[in-house]
Amino acid sequence: MKSSVMEKKVTLRIFGMTCNDCVKTVSEGLKNAGGEEVSLSLDDGMAILKIDDVKISPEDIAKIPVFGEKSRYKAQIRKVE
Amino acid sequence: MVKNFDLVIIGRGSAAFSAAIKASEITMHQAKIAMIGYGYLGGTCVNVGCVPSKYLIEAAKVAQNQRYPKYPGIKSIEPSIDFKKLMNSLREVVNNERENKYINVLKSYENIEVFDGKSSFISNDTVKIDSGEEMSGYNFIIATGSKTKIPDINGLRETGYLTSDTVWSLNYMPESLGIIGGGFAGLELGQAFQRLGSHVAIIKEHETIVKGIENELGNELIKALGEEGIQFLLKRKVKKVYKKGNKKIIETLHGNETEKIEVDEILMTSGRTPNIDNLGLEKAGIKYSEEGITVNDKLQTSNPLIYAAGDVVHRKYKLETLAAREGATIASNLYENGSKKINLQEIPISIFTEPQLASVGYTEKEYNEKFGKSMSRTIPLNFVPKARLLRENCGMFKIVIDEKTEKIVGVHVLSPYAAEFIIEGVNAIKNNLTYLDIINSTHIFPTVAEGIKLTAQSFYRNVSKMSCCME
Ligand SMILES: Cc1cc2nc3c(=O)[nH]c(=O)nc-3n(C[C@H](O)[C@H](O)[C@H](O)COP(=O)(O)OP(=O)(O)OC[C@H]3O[C@@H](n4cnc5c(N)ncnc54)[C@H](O)[C@@H]3O)c2cc1C
Repeated sequence: MKSSVMEKKVTLRIFGMTCNDCVKTVSEGLKNAGGEEVSLSLDDGMAILKIDDVKISPEDIAKIPVFGEKSRYKAQIRKVE
Repeated sequence: MVKNFDLVIIGRGSAAFSAAIKASEITMHQAKIAMIGYGYLGGTCVNVGCVPSKYLIEAAKVAQNQRYPKYPGIKSIEPSIDFKKLMNSLREVVNNERENKYINVLKSYENIEVFDGKSSFISNDTVKIDSGEEMSGYNFIIATGSKTKIPDINGLRETGYLTSDTVWSLNYMPESLGIIGGGFAGLELGQAFQRLGSHVAIIKEHETIVKGIENELGNELIKALGEEGIQFLLKRKVKKVYKKGNKKIIETLHGNETEKIEVDEILMTSGRTPNIDNLGLEKAGIKYSEEGITVNDKLQTSNPLIYAAGDVVHRKYKLETLAAREGATIASNLYENGSKKINLQEIPISIFTEPQLASVGYTEKEYNEKFGKSMSRTIPLNFVPKARLLRENCGMFKIVIDEKTEKIVGVHVLSPYAAEFIIEGVNAIKNNLTYLDIINSTHIFPTVAEGIKLTAQSFYRNVSKMSCCME
């Protein structure tokens, strides 16, 4: 059986990060959800990562637990390529 | 130079403040927000709407109670009113509210930058203020509010008129006031001025005083206001307006007959029109009509990155509560990945006259037209023990339920304090309650709010024959 991969590059604006620990927490959250090549900037709150759309959609990546209702971090999808 | 923001809000009123503050809270004050507008900070509600009108209404109530005390043995006195002093105090209250609840509040939000001026879209992601500054945003919220609709009446401009924007600068009490258009503001201000000593006439083209409310309640309210001396000139089309000496003449057409009334001042409350002129909406791909901006149930306009909230949106009613809820809902949809919607049937309305009219959900007619059959019960106010103690008998309660499920779909009240307890109707509709659920909740005796329980009881028993101690 051939497995298909639908790679997408997602740019997120992330709110709520104030220190390097925050960056680590959010990065890990994104990686655990299947995000690859995650790059995150504390300065402008922008994150760029790659996902396999078959496994997780861009909409769902913005709703993973690290961005959940009770979490201090929130993500807004800015671009999907 | 173009300034960049996460969110640009056009407007500085209720919808704008609610959106900006909620967005700041959700994003830990990290969303960079621009708030653009002109005139006093806070927009209509605090400056020229809810706040001054409710102040004047309460003051007028005191005068009315002096003139007509409800209880035998308490002597009537003609109130001595220093109108200028009263209006100065009103303006002071407005200034304080604006200072405390808008200007000072913003000091806690460094992420919100406030700009002065009128703005319009120059592309789908940039607006320009009349000062020349340009702001681009990832998202926008249009919250530009509404203004009094001024119909094209011959001679109106030359004769001069007041609106709900200008009436607050009055320093003398007009001996007589002609209000063109009824509506919430016309009725509220009409009663306040009448009670403060003016002779008020309300002139309306239609027979109903406010569109979309239960007719029987509307008629009862006209009766109550009429008994206080307000003259209702319904089904009159205003033909022309002109000056005669110090007076203003309003000439109306009633059937084929021309009628004239002479007044000191004219107050226009002839509906509201959305502030959409010169906003460059086409440049941002935003659809709108004369009635306002079109939004989907997530409050997105036809440009999905641009939202709209408050009076500028095409809606049946224009309310502070709705504007604020819409602003907060948009913030949540933007930054919490929400797809929150507002159920308009759960939004209560109130006319702050005495008696107050408060209503939520469908009228009987609306429900029948939309879903087929409903059942309803109406009880007069004097069935409610507390109303009898208050010596008030003008008013009624009406509940509309779905015939099959018996769920409450509309609650309509004309009574003292109705605005204070209509929330019971809101909760009933929001939580899909039946009339039995209302009956099974203990209400405080004696309260006017018990009228809701009595109306629910009237679905299965004759409440006029009940002891007031029966649950
Ligand atoms: C007399 C009166 C009494 C009322 N009483 C009540 C009440 O008791 N309860 C209730 O719920 N509601 C009441 N309302 C209604 C309530 O005041 C409004 O629904 C509410 O204030 C609307 O808020 P908004 O944010 O949509 O608009 P607004 O508060 O009107 O704000 C609009 C903003 O947009 C800005 N603006 C407009 N055009 C532009 C432009 N081109 N560029 C930049 N900025 C622009 C303005 O400067 C302003 O800051 C009353 C209204 C009136 C008139």
